[in-house]
Amino acid sequence: MDVLPNEEEQMVKNLAREFLEAECPPRLARDMEKDDLGYPPELWKQLADLGWLGISLPERYGGQGLPLTYLGLITEELGRAIAPVPFHSTMVAALTIAAAGSDDQKQDLLPRAGRGDLVLTWAFSEENPRLLPETIQCQAVEDGDNFILSGTKMFVDNFVAAEKCLVACRTAPASDAGAGISLLLVDAGSTGVSQIPLTTLAKDKQSKVNFNSVRVPKANLVGELHQGWPVAQQMLDRGTALLCAQMVGAARKDAEMGIDYAKNRVAFGRPIAGFQSIQHICADMILWVDGAQLLTYEALWKMDQGLPASMEVSQAKSFCNDKCEAVVRSSQVLHGGMGFMMEFDLHLWYRRVTAWTMRLGTSFEHRSRIARGLLDQPGHVRLGMNLEVPA
Amino acid sequence: MDFAYTPEQETLRDNVRTFIQENVTDEVRQEIEDLGIRRRGPKVRELYAKLGERGWVGISWPREYGGQDGSRIDQYIVEEEFARAGITVGGAGSGAPAILAAGTEEQKKYYLPGLINGEISFALGFTEPQAGADLASLQCRAVRDGDEYVINGQKMFTTAAHYASHIYLMARTDPEAPKHRGISIFLIPMDTERITVRALWTIQNEPQAPAGTTYGDARTNEVFFEDVRVPASCLLGEENTGWYVGAMGLNLDRVGASRYLISVQRDEDIVNYVKENDLGGMNLAEDSSVRDRIAELWTEAQVCRLMTMRSMSLVEKGGNFTYEGSAEKVFAPEHGVRTTETIAQILGPYAQLLNGSEDAVEEGVFAHNLMGSFQSGINHGSTQVMRDQIARRGLGMPRT
Repeated sequence: MDVLPNEEEQMVKNLAREFLEAECPPRLARDMEKDDLGYPPELWKQLADLGWLGISLPERYGGQGLPLTYLGLITEELGRAIAPVPFHSTMVAALTIAAAGSDDQKQDLLPRAGRGDLVLTWAFSEENPRLLPETIQCQAVEDGDNFILSGTKMFVDNFVAAEKCLVACRTAPASDAGAGISLLLVDAGSTGVSQIPLTTLAKDKQSKVNFNSVRVPKANLVGELHQGWPVAQQMLDRGTALLCAQMVGAARKDAEMGIDYAKNRVAFGRPIAGFQSIQHICADMILWVDGAQLLTYEALWKMDQGLPASMEVSQAKSFCNDKCEAVVRSSQVLHGGMGFMMEFDLHLWYRRVTAWTMRLGTSFEHRSRIARGLLDQPGHVRLGMNLEVPA
Repeated sequence: MDFAYTPEQETLRDNVRTFIQENVTDEVRQEIEDLGIRRRGPKVRELYAKLGERGWVGISWPREYGGQDGSRIDQYIVEEEFARAGITVGGAGSGAPAILAAGTEEQKKYYLPGLINGEISFALGFTEPQAGADLASLQCRAVRDGDEYVINGQKMFTTAAHYASHIYLMARTDPEAPKHRGISIFLIPMDTERITVRALWTIQNEPQAPAGTTYGDARTNEVFFEDVRVPASCLLGEENTGWYVGAMGLNLDRVGASRYLISVQRDEDIVNYVKENDLGGMNLAEDSSVRDRIAELWTEAQVCRLMTMRSMSLVEKGGNFTYEGSAEKVFAPEHGVRTTETIAQILGPYAQLLNGSEDAVEEGVFAHNLMGSFQSGINHGSTQVMRDQIARRGLGMPRT
């Protein structure tokens, strides 16, 4: 029992921070908001050379095979630096391929992803954005050696930058045998694929993607036909835990900027950090980030150990949604009018953290899962026991 | 990071649970109900003796003083299981951490085994009528006179004074020094002449909360010292270093099993209650507002658990946890209040029924917590003072 990073973990985290502080200034995030691709390929290549893209991919496929907690710590630091790179979407898709893909798929894709030669993304949400199998309307029907995929996906991260997209689609009606979902890896450039960019609060690269009778070879099925929901659920949970790490990193940096500002801003003849009303806001910001971080680390650790982590993931995301938002809003408040100025960097963090609270599950969705785990199965509950969201 | 207990620690937890099932009998519970847990009757004394034999009190203390040189996390596990059974074991309020850190050899040899076998317990003599949150302004005076000190003054909210064997007293020994640097700590038997104890009854009195279910005992006390003469050997640590000696104990008082549990047990209770009961046919477990609020509180309770684990992780490594302990001491008590007040809105008028009332829910624990839960945010450093500490010690913000 030691809930804090150990020496090695801390070292990886520190090195990531040092690198990003030197190579990824806020200006980059600002510039990429106006960039068509949305990320600087040179930085992406550097991350690959540092081994970050392969850190938790299997050694057999060119990765380092380190625990998911390491990937979480790197993601936290990327969040801290609000690094404009397609890291999250690539890792979520790559880890899903690593977990459920065929040996051929892994051979073909994972070494490339680890080298930084393959940007990936994934697509689940549709017009009804709830992360449940019944919201999936995109349909794939078998046609010889292919599937024919039709439908529309919403909020697809980095679609314009991605070479391939892992798409959750319906191949069968829901039944006792399963939810009827399959996962297909679709080339973003396939005939019949079109995208409309969405203008978002974070000014990041999300797309509405239309699949109009797109031919996808059967070899691109990831996992078993019709049995993709548990794999997708794992993908969403993993993606959620990593997004939490990203939020924690960004929110802590944002809090630190607020605290520094309070130490330097003079009003009523003294730095405002000398006022208790300001100190208590700062104390709360740190408490909230600490709580979010601990919940996130536990979720990542449980996942890495192969333990059920659905409750922990939902605890982390619902808390991050509420509290990281409160942190970045409080920091805006501490900054007064300055925080509202476009030329001042603070809003870069505020807009991203706020946008991330809406991705991969709202507080209501996650608390609804927690309530199912607590209330919809028999037996006494006790804090610290292993609980799981019932299927 | 590692969020699991070791197999040995899981075995220890099982052993403690089995012990509790076998030894905390209905008769023991009745005695606790009648006398309170710290005021030990014969059955509870016997129970503590058995605990001592198993080496479960003071696991992390050195062997030469009756401990086991064991881990703080082992000690935490034992304390948590007993706290869940309404029984205080060890814990920081024992005074032991400060005695271990600052005591003379003689003091360690006398007090630590006594704390283990249950013959010694301390009342904490810190607060005074004019010194609560601003503890360092305390006025109780100790004047050296040859081989003795002469003590005059008054202590307030000294909860255990009517049954503890000793008082752990903070008194001023140098009125000329800056206020933090003129304080000393004395360990004094409560049966010393010219110490008088007067009862103060709390809002938890009549009826009393079921044992161990919330903060705030039915009775606390004022303690008066009138020319009380004690041998100089009662001094703990060096003269005028008492503030710093006391801080060690207080830091540990703010964290650990009992405060954590008292802040989160109602979360477990309300989940288990709505799962297993209905109110006149109304199934609360199906109510979407109730479900959302319960999930939110459960998540906060997990944060309380993890913050406790964080302090334990730091203590185990010998690290300093001043800021982390303060963080825990803000989050957990305030969470306990949110839970208590939410439960009132979940159960409605049933949540006002006190212990012993017709139709009281779970012996009235939810109603009693409405009087007790906010206590946890007041005692041993208020949440406001804790936020000051987080800002100043954790974030390097200036004093106001």
